[in-house]
Amino acid sequence: MSPKRIRLLIWKEFTQLRRDPLLIRLLLLMPVLQLIMFGYVVAVDVRNLSTAVVDLDHSAVSRKLESAFSSSGYFTITQHVASEDDLRPLLDRGTVKVAIVIPEGTQDRLTRGETATIGIIVDGSDSQVSAVGSGYASQIVAQFNTERRDALGIQVAAPSVDARVRVMFNPTLDPINTMIPGLIAAIMMISLMVIMSQAVVKERESGTLEQMFVTPIKATEYLIGKLTPYAALATAQMLLVAAGGLFWFKVPFNGSIWVVLAGLFLFMFTCLGLGLLISLVSRTRHQAQQAVMFIMIPTMVLSGFIFPIQSMPAIIQPLTNLIPLTWALQVLRGAFVKGSGFEALAVPMLALVGFGVVIFGAAIVATRRRISE
Amino acid sequence: MRQALIRVGAIVRKEFRHLGRDPRMLLAVVITPVIQLLLFAYAISFDVDHVPTLVIDFDNSPASQRYLQQYEASPFFDVVAHGTSLADVDTAFDGNTARVAIIIPSGFSRTLASDAAAQVSVLVDGSEPNAAKISQAYSVALNQLYGQQLTREWADAQGLDLSSFGLLEPRIRTWYNPERRSSDFLIPGLMVVILAIVTVQQTAVTLVRERDLGTQEQLEVSPMRRIELMVGKLLPWTLIAFLDVALITGLGRTLFDVPLRGDFWALTVGAALFVFASLGMGLLISAIAPSLDTANIMAMLIAFLPAFLLSGFAFALDQIPVFLQWISYAFPARYMVSISRGVFLKGAGFAEIWPELISLVAYALVMLVISSVLYGRRSSR
Repeated sequence: MSPKRIRLLIWKEFTQLRRDPLLIRLLLLMPVLQLIMFGYVVAVDVRNLSTAVVDLDHSAVSRKLESAFSSSGYFTITQHVASEDDLRPLLDRGTVKVAIVIPEGTQDRLTRGETATIGIIVDGSDSQVSAVGSGYASQIVAQFNTERRDALGIQVAAPSVDARVRVMFNPTLDPINTMIPGLIAAIMMISLMVIMSQAVVKERESGTLEQMFVTPIKATEYLIGKLTPYAALATAQMLLVAAGGLFWFKVPFNGSIWVVLAGLFLFMFTCLGLGLLISLVSRTRHQAQQAVMFIMIPTMVLSGFIFPIQSMPAIIQPLTNLIPLTWALQVLRGAFVKGSGFEALAVPMLALVGFGVVIFGAAIVATRRRISE
Repeated sequence: MRQALIRVGAIVRKEFRHLGRDPRMLLAVVITPVIQLLLFAYAISFDVDHVPTLVIDFDNSPASQRYLQQYEASPFFDVVAHGTSLADVDTAFDGNTARVAIIIPSGFSRTLASDAAAQVSVLVDGSEPNAAKISQAYSVALNQLYGQQLTREWADAQGLDLSSFGLLEPRIRTWYNPERRSSDFLIPGLMVVILAIVTVQQTAVTLVRERDLGTQEQLEVSPMRRIELMVGKLLPWTLIAFLDVALITGLGRTLFDVPLRGDFWALTVGAALFVFASLGMGLLISAIAPSLDTANIMAMLIAFLPAFLLSGFAFALDQIPVFLQWISYAFPARYMVSISRGVFLKGAGFAEIWPELISLVAYALVMLVISSVLYGRRSSR
């Protein structure tokens, strides 16, 4: 081990990085772009669904119901149409996502003490809209009933249940609060896999890898020198995302910084290992890129980064445990949102250790073998 | 004319030979779409039901058990565990074994028996915000329904006539996708994402590679005209793109039972226009990009990201900030997603989707013109 050789190699890597102005610009652009995209598109709060109302009753009840819907903030009434048949083109074109149909005689039925049904139509071609729309519609109607009963002064001494619903950990229920910690882990993975694999393959393509191996440099020195610059770069990108999340999106941080750092440190070995492995199996940069995509897409889909694991079918759910990012997300989200400590996060931490040892270890062994050949 | 056709044919043959020689490439354009389709269609869903629920009953009375039965009976909540102390909530939430906790304090039945409002705590884990929101809404609704039921029973027991009070009941209908299957929602959009990746990225890369390897000059000194070269280069990718469309439509129809309710020809025309627009975009990238690396990253930035995030494929476009909505109009994926979803799910035909078709025509024309101008300028240099 010669610290001087390692230092020289690190210096060489940084010089190479500096010479490629486009790459540097892209490396800085990537986290910013992802912050915007994930912050504003993926972590969007579904509200203000454009809603059409068919009021066939024209009564005090129907007007009150309408205002209950519009004041909830989840439905914005944009259209009033005369009959149910007129709804079809509106929903077909996607002008409205939800429709409320209040049939004739609703108020009369209610005063007669019967149950009156109102129709809520949700556009099922958009899953998020239909899930959120129908959930809130049920809540609004239930609340409407309670308020109406109270207003009538009927229930004075009847038993009832007073449910205090309290949201723990993320009381504003803003999706960005879980998106940012996830993005920090995701960006480390993306950047280490893409940039590192490309950098090593590029060296192979231009033939400088062989030159490197005829120098007195040893395998361990080569690896340390090669990995350090990229680990540093990824750290810079993560800091950028963390800063953007904390100061621009005002994401609260409830946990311990040591838990976050420990989780990221463990996860970094997995990412470095993956980057190395890709660069070993790919002969050209194009292949490396394809290989990255091949790993990236299942990771993004199955880790719970964008799509909740809880909503996946029961057969798929165990598969998500095989994805390292799943565990990194648990650590980061646990620390950021729930303020969990080492004790609560022992399982995901151990899983990260396991992935790190296996993947990084395999990559090191394979690289050393390749170098000594 | 005949000569031209022969020359184009030669280029097409050459391109296919390149593909045949690189099995990984073939894998990337044919197998990857299938894997993506299976992955997305099986794994992605925004449906929230069977939320794992922890129940702590400090009262342990018939009344509290009856109340809890409401949760057991609801398809929305899955009672997975019964706890004995409040610490169980922390453990369950930390370990993600439950997302909702219902705590019935002792004295629940006594309060109810004395005709008062008994308090119940419902704790929702907010770390999965969308699911938490829906859980919150459903538990509020459930409690209110139960409260109303209690009131009615009480009135009956007291011999009171509550007939002056009727109940409003929501009847929720889901149009276009009554079972709310996520695959119905995702597969039509997924087709667009996969098409965008295959067409834009691969065309950009094949053309730049020719330049990187220096074979571009050789092609230019051949008697081949530029337009012939471009047609010959793009034709194989058009064919592969159509193969992907057929593959995804076929798999979607057979494996996932995605309905195809609308006009098949409208979909075909839309897909063809989208493929041309994407090829134009690929050409544009290859005309601008100085190297293979840049071409790859640019394709990623202007093909994959907008198609995935700004097309409405999984994330509702009317919910995003206005400036991003404007950006989304600058990419063809958004038009194609609404064509595809319209035809598949809403039974749309030419009459409904013509505005999107016209946008795609305009887009494809502009892209092809700009890129051939830039391309010409580049090669005449």
